[in-house]
Amino acid sequence: MNYFVIGYYALLIGASCLAAYYSVRSAFLLLFSLTLVSFIVGIVGGESALWTITICAGILALCIGTAYAFREFLVIVLWGEGSKAIKTAPLTATFGLFVIMTYAIAGIFAPIIAPYGEAEVIAGAFAPADENMLLGADQLGRDLFSRLVFGARNTVGIALLATTFAFVLGALAGLIAATLGGFFDNLMSRVVDVIMSVPSLIFALLLLSIMGTNAFVLIFIIAIIYAPRVFRLTRAVAGNVVVMDYIEAARLRGEGLWYLIRREILPNSTAPLIAEFGLEFCFVFLLVAGLSFLGLGIQPPTADWGSMVRENATLISFGEITPLFPAGAIALLTVAVNFVVDWMLFRSSGLKG
Amino acid sequence: MADTKKDLLLKIRDLRIEGYSDEKWLEIVHGIDLTLHKGEVMGLIGESGAGKSTIGLAAMGFARDGCRISGGSIEFDGMELTTTSESDRRALRGSRIAYVAQSAAASFNPAHKIIDQHTEAPIHYRIRKRLEAQEDAMELYERLRLPNPQEIGFRYPHQVSGGQLQRAMTAMAMACRPDLIIFDEPTTALDVTTQIEVLAAIRDIVEQFNTAAIYITHDLAVVAQMADTIKVLLKGNEVEEADTETMLSNPKEDYTKSLWAVRSFKREQKERPGGGAVPVVSVQNVDASYGDTPVLHDVSFDIYAGMTVAVVGESGSGKSTTARCITGLLPPSSGKIVMNGVEMPPGYKQRSKEQLRQAQMIYQMADTALNPKVRICDIIGRPAQFYMGLKGGALKSRVDELLDLIELEPSKYYSRYPTELSGGQKQRIGIARALAAEPNFIICDEVTSALDQLVAEGILKLLDRLQKELNLAYMFITHDLATVRSIADEVVVMKQGEVVDSGPKNEMFTPPHHPYTDLLLSSVPEMDPNWLTTVLEERGVDNIGEAATV
Repeated sequence: MNYFVIGYYALLIGASCLAAYYSVRSAFLLLFSLTLVSFIVGIVGGESALWTITICAGILALCIGTAYAFREFLVIVLWGEGSKAIKTAPLTATFGLFVIMTYAIAGIFAPIIAPYGEAEVIAGAFAPADENMLLGADQLGRDLFSRLVFGARNTVGIALLATTFAFVLGALAGLIAATLGGFFDNLMSRVVDVIMSVPSLIFALLLLSIMGTNAFVLIFIIAIIYAPRVFRLTRAVAGNVVVMDYIEAARLRGEGLWYLIRREILPNSTAPLIAEFGLEFCFVFLLVAGLSFLGLGIQPPTADWGSMVRENATLISFGEITPLFPAGAIALLTVAVNFVVDWMLFRSSGLKG
Repeated sequence: MADTKKDLLLKIRDLRIEGYSDEKWLEIVHGIDLTLHKGEVMGLIGESGAGKSTIGLAAMGFARDGCRISGGSIEFDGMELTTTSESDRRALRGSRIAYVAQSAAASFNPAHKIIDQHTEAPIHYRIRKRLEAQEDAMELYERLRLPNPQEIGFRYPHQVSGGQLQRAMTAMAMACRPDLIIFDEPTTALDVTTQIEVLAAIRDIVEQFNTAAIYITHDLAVVAQMADTIKVLLKGNEVEEADTETMLSNPKEDYTKSLWAVRSFKREQKERPGGGAVPVVSVQNVDASYGDTPVLHDVSFDIYAGMTVAVVGESGSGKSTTARCITGLLPPSSGKIVMNGVEMPPGYKQRSKEQLRQAQMIYQMADTALNPKVRICDIIGRPAQFYMGLKGGALKSRVDELLDLIELEPSKYYSRYPTELSGGQKQRIGIARALAAEPNFIICDEVTSALDQLVAEGILKLLDRLQKELNLAYMFITHDLATVRSIADEVVVMKQGEVVDSGPKNEMFTPPHHPYTDLLLSSVPEMDPNWLTTVLEERGVDNIGEAATV
């Protein structure tokens, strides 16, 4: 028994009693069940297990705190409709927004933030962390932290461009197919069927080995692979809008295709499209990282999270956690984007009125 | 039915219900009292938003999502529904209280056979075994005069007609022989000829089983046939309650009187212009089909400037298809459309901007006819911009002028979105959009059938005024003969894609009629509470259904 363990239980039990006294049911149940679990974990795993629980709880509390503070900040900074929407947003969504903003800043200001250059060799291979290097060095002696920051720019930037391109391509084709119907619709749908029938990773590998690997080819290929999904969704969403009377009224007025799409159909299908954008971004992001891991994505010495995981993978067997940092960066962004997308889906599903 | 010593079944006292909107709770039903005895039928009437359906559901101890019962008591057969547990209330619903919704088509699950849905409740509550329940269902189908009662239950919902489905739904409500049935506008979505069958069936079965009922509707003539007592509601408040005879002959409150008076709007019938006047629209021997299914056969009629031609008929009679042929959405397979003496190209894509401008359309559902993401000023302004090339200040003043014309204050409505308007206001915007093109012919497709009577009357008066001011020709598609009586100059009766009868309104409404016109006319409910009985006697109970399908 030491002071930490005594303090740990005293705090938990005290908090449970307070929650019970003020009859905050859910908080009490959470705290007290945590106390009970801690007894068992403490007996089995000893003091270190309790430390782990404390640290996890601390990180969670920090995340919640950040999300809460960031929400209040956004409510004040934004105006009108945006401020109103943020006010009712769940904490997960603002946490997601916060993470996305952090990544964006890291990507945009990478040269200023990173202490060393992207490909600068400053130490021995796999040098451990010291006061110069926050996270140590990679297999060639480059600063891992700097490469992580530059990686945000490359990986996220390419994923964003590829998703945008896929959306422009897929949504435009989907809208035109839904509006025109008939032959064009059939043609596009069959083309899409063909593309979708090929497994996406193999298709990407095939095209990349034919066309060579540079960033533009990568963006183009990923856009081709993901555009069909966007096409299908857009066509389905727009298909529901096209049958409305106001579209008939616009057609009878003699409006052209472009006006119909831009002014009548698109404004009524944006909500699901935005939500889909978030989801597709995650998939594209993972595909870029996956291709890099396989060696066919972004080419060295350009920093990229996927290839960083691969290059440092050998360290795992020595009990080092270095390769987990780029992997964690990928995971965190994916989760954050999904939090935001969930919130947008909730809003667009009409539950909020 | 006039038994005075009836047992008390439902007692609602000071019922208050709140709805959640804009992040706060607002009271929408302000203290309603309601007493219902066994075997008694009460009619609830009022405009939309009066709280009729909300009160009907509350009688089952139920509040919709976003609503809550905030005060008062609901006592059903000695049981206080506001305080009993949800599972006890659930046990009541379906077995002792049943609900018949407005749209049977939307209430049946399309993936299951009708009889399987029918027997679900009795089997669930262990009132009957499956086979007994099926036999019972067939018996109910027979009592409700459904054709082939032995066999019809084994069809899927889409395989029977709307009126039959509504009757099947009533049968389903009867499956557990409940003490109380709530009918929520069960005939509103039906044609007059179908409505009469459903009304007769509902009335008979309620009488046979001595079931109490709450009948919710906005149609006074219908409620007059069904209810023993009538309660009039306005914005969640009770206006008055009395037995049907008294209520019809001697309403006390002004609001009730105004409801009663709605059907009195009428205007002078105009004659066709003489001499060599050219009709604005002339439909000449038009045939049309959807794919291989012929829907129109040899349809011809003329519409002259400043006149209203009402096209009436049941659903599926080809009224709307005729309109689609005129606008060019469905190119006719033979025959032609002539406007102001010029033959129109069959499809709208081949027509010039100027030709498209001449004919405009107003839709039944204002909700789907206005783009929810576009501001009012853009909805109305677009045709003016598109056809007349108006821009900037000229466009704004034109929109203001149009808003004035439809009696909406320009400064208030100019930059609103359609979702911020009421149903009647939306319909007015639809009219303004049609007027913005400065047409000489407007097709009105059931423009008033989705609206309350008072609002509908306002729209009819507006249309009439606009016709006088702008010398417009209207083609008025409707199945509501009361509307025809008030606004039409000429009437065209359609049935199964053919014109069966046509002529000036006064001639059409005075005998002798074509037999089908006669059937349509006699099916329009009248305010006389004995009307349904009289009509049924005249027709002979057994062939109401057949008469409608002849």
